[in-house]
Amino acid sequence: MQIADYAIPEAQVARTAPGARVEVRNLSRRFDDNRVISDLNLTVRPGEFVSIVGKSGCGKSTLLRLISGLDQPSAGQITVDGQPAEQAGDRLRIMFQEPRLLPWASVSDNVAVGLRNGRDKAAVAQALRAVELSDRGSFWPAQLSGGQRQRVALARALVSHPGLLMFDEPLGALDALTRLTMQNLIQQMHQQAGFTAILVTHDVAEAVALSDRVIVLGQGRIIHEAQIVRVAPVGRGSPELAAIEAEILDAIFQG
Amino acid sequence: MSLADFLVETGSRSKRLAGRSIGLPRLRAEALLPYAVPVAILILWEIAGATGLVADTVLPRPSAILATASQMLWSGELLTHLGVSALRALAGLAVGGGIGFLLGVANGTSRISETLTDSTLQMVRNIPHLALIPLVILWFGIGEGAKLFLVALGVFFPIYLNTLHGIRNVDGQLIEMGRAYGMTPRQLFLRIVLPGALPSIFVGLRYGLGIMWLTLIVAETLSASSGLGYMAMKAREFMVLDVVILSILLYALLGKLADSLTRALERRALKWSPAYANR
Repeated sequence: MQIADYAIPEAQVARTAPGARVEVRNLSRRFDDNRVISDLNLTVRPGEFVSIVGKSGCGKSTLLRLISGLDQPSAGQITVDGQPAEQAGDRLRIMFQEPRLLPWASVSDNVAVGLRNGRDKAAVAQALRAVELSDRGSFWPAQLSGGQRQRVALARALVSHPGLLMFDEPLGALDALTRLTMQNLIQQMHQQAGFTAILVTHDVAEAVALSDRVIVLGQGRIIHEAQIVRVAPVGRGSPELAAIEAEILDAIFQG
Repeated sequence: MSLADFLVETGSRSKRLAGRSIGLPRLRAEALLPYAVPVAILILWEIAGATGLVADTVLPRPSAILATASQMLWSGELLTHLGVSALRALAGLAVGGGIGFLLGVANGTSRISETLTDSTLQMVRNIPHLALIPLVILWFGIGEGAKLFLVALGVFFPIYLNTLHGIRNVDGQLIEMGRAYGMTPRQLFLRIVLPGALPSIFVGLRYGLGIMWLTLIVAETLSASSGLGYMAMKAREFMVLDVVILSILLYALLGKLADSLTRALERRALKWSPAYANR
């Protein structure tokens, strides 16, 4: 998929800040007596793409909800660019497993939900162009396919030019082919817009294909980290990536 | 082409044309179809009267009723009664529906408000509102207050219950999305909660309209000095059968009119829903 026309206009370069820095310090989250996250530390560099993987119930979704401010920690701190996550406003955006579009709003109006004033038509058009849905602005969400809806959700997340974009299994409900297309789209967006990305997924191959770093979570702690350095563009399914994938899967099953 | 052929033909055509605009002549034929049965009944009724199968003293013919209607229309009597009834119906709907909607919103969005009022409302709901007629006559006499009170009470419950139900069933994931995207409580309500509850509110409105006519006619029949119900009662006393039947037919027409208006409103307001697409 070609996304060559997602060039950020000159005037916007200044306010399109690069990726945000995320600091997680001694983070804990308990639900009653159940420790879901215990004493977790994590730093995500500006512009870095980090994936969080692990068995279901390992706390990866909770961690994402804590960082995005949808849930409050029992102890510890989370800062985005040095500020508490709640104050990050439209610098921080989240994409859910479901598109969560407003069924009663047109595609354009749904994208505009991501804007503070909601009236910047040019920004909405640009975001729709970026996800190749320029001609669908006046459609209702019900008229789109599952993959198209998730692309609208991506446009909504990107329209405010966030410094931190978080993905909570955003491709889990899509068919295999649409998934690959969406992965490429997210990768290209990340390279062009330079935001920091945190992806929660249970698909290790997806994590390895997209990220600079993969974190394995087990019982609320980081039990393994894999750095992925791409010297030259490596294709999907290359032996190097396959080896890393095997190593991560090992860590998950031992943890 | 027989009627059966016509139906099959229409069915297959509309399937083929689904999603595209349907040709105008075909649209007209389909639009007229719902009126086929009422028109057929009127024709059979007229024939039964004209051939003497049914005596005019038992059931006057449609043509006779039409003549009475036009006579009453010219004298202005019919319009006066119609206007009085319509005004009562609308006032009752506005008062009862308005309070029902506001309480539904309050109880759907505030736990305290619901705990405070819901069990009381459930108790009141279980009293058939027409059972209050003797009390209402003692309180209000046969004045306008009595009719307004009864209609408002009757309309209140379906609108209250369906507004509450609609707000309760708004997709929690959408609300979470709205919060994550920095919507204020006001924006959350106007952009997510209210549109999400709207289909259910419309169901309440349509139920409410039915109850509105029912209540009004019962109230006017029992205690009034004007309105359609009064017109029918007076005609009964003077044994004017065609006026009695005319008022019954008018109820049917008015009920259908109110329902069609709501449907049109619904289609407009819910055009985003796949249930209303391409219709």
